[in-house]
Amino acid sequence: MIFLPLLFAVYIPEEDRSLAERLKRHEPAVMTELYDRYGKLAYSLIYRIVRDVGAAEDLVQETFLRVWNRAQGFDAERGALGPWLLAVARNRAIDYLRSASGKMSRGALELEAAEHPSAFANFEADVLSQDQSRRVRSALGRLNENQRHVIELAYFEGLSQSEMAERLGQPLGTVKTWVRTALKNLRADLGEKALSV
Amino acid sequence: MTCDELRDDYELYAMGLLDEPGRAELDAHLRREGDPCIAGVQKARELVSSIATTAPEVHAPARLRKKVAGLVVGDEGRRWSWAPVWIAVAAGLALVTIWLGISRRDLERTIADFERQLQQKNVELARLNEAVALMNDPAARQVVFGTDTAQPPRGRVFVNPKQGVLLLASNLPPAAAGKIYEMWLIPKGGKPVPAGLFQSESDGTALYLRKGAVDIASMGVVAVTLEPESGSAQPTTTPIIVAAL
Repeated sequence: MIFLPLLFAVYIPEEDRSLAERLKRHEPAVMTELYDRYGKLAYSLIYRIVRDVGAAEDLVQETFLRVWNRAQGFDAERGALGPWLLAVARNRAIDYLRSASGKMSRGALELEAAEHPSAFANFEADVLSQDQSRRVRSALGRLNENQRHVIELAYFEGLSQSEMAERLGQPLGTVKTWVRTALKNLRADLGEKALSV
Repeated sequence: MTCDELRDDYELYAMGLLDEPGRAELDAHLRREGDPCIAGVQKARELVSSIATTAPEVHAPARLRKKVAGLVVGDEGRRWSWAPVWIAVAAGLALVTIWLGISRRDLERTIADFERQLQQKNVELARLNEAVALMNDPAARQVVFGTDTAQPPRGRVFVNPKQGVLLLASNLPPAAAGKIYEMWLIPKGGKPVPAGLFQSESDGTALYLRKGAVDIASMGVVAVTLEPESGSAQPTTTPIIVAAL
């Protein structure tokens, strides 16, 4: 494992659009290209969440199959293929974590809504770019430890604020403050400039 | 609530952390075309999406690429991937059925062979019992033949007035193809009377029983000749066995 930010191929919307169109046409060969573009990132994200090689492999396959099966609902012209695929990957992994721990999923409907293709329309082109990754890591690094921790618990473990409070042994109000402040700082730090190149 | 008032909730919403009723409130805004919250939530989603890129890089196993590609080797491929299994199962069942059929036929044939052999043994046993009964009867008369010939057959003839004539012979080679041995009962001063056809065993032995009452007093000779396989009304060759009573 390399503990460095992921370095991605340049995010090229035009190529993603072509991939999305071919996905919608169910051209089998597109899966290899899609994997070449997003497989490493999806695997790294899933592994970061589940910490199990076998499960990560299975979940990556689930992710790509789900994208394949739901591509019809994806807007190839306006949709952001990579962020959508990663949202699917994250949700599969979190769902797996919650199933493995015997917890009821926080809501299949909630996860479904979070990965609905329509939620990924009109994204900026550089959301998954190397520069953006560096900026996000820097911004996370500038959060205090508690703020960074709750963001990681929320994003990589899918915990609700109540679950975080229980996990951390902190009052719910305190956790909510950490979360809200962390997100506000991230938005301010990344700002319009970072997300609207 | 206005979009300004909801602004700080955008990232919470995008992270899935916004509780009710704030969530429902924002959902309602997002359903309105042109609502300023839409762009705000979109930016928040971009931010949340970009957090994925901070996951430490891990190299995926090389086999995973092939597995992913294989997931949809034809969506239809996933469907027909079971077909070979079912074909193999069906073929296997067909083979088993055929094998069982063949085995059953073999078994039936073997049983039929055993039954046939048993039947033959029973017939043979009955014949031997009859032969023993004929020989043990004090009324039976015994004649030895072949002792004075250089080229046997040799053996004995038992004549029982009630049960018939029994021939026990050795050194009697099986008759050639198209030929058969025929027994003759020759009365004193009379013509030979056909007394039945028989074949010797491959080891040169023969046991032939001609059932039926016999008048020993008028009987002169028991003879055996080699005849065409359909038998003859009168001997056509020189007798091989001659047992004079």
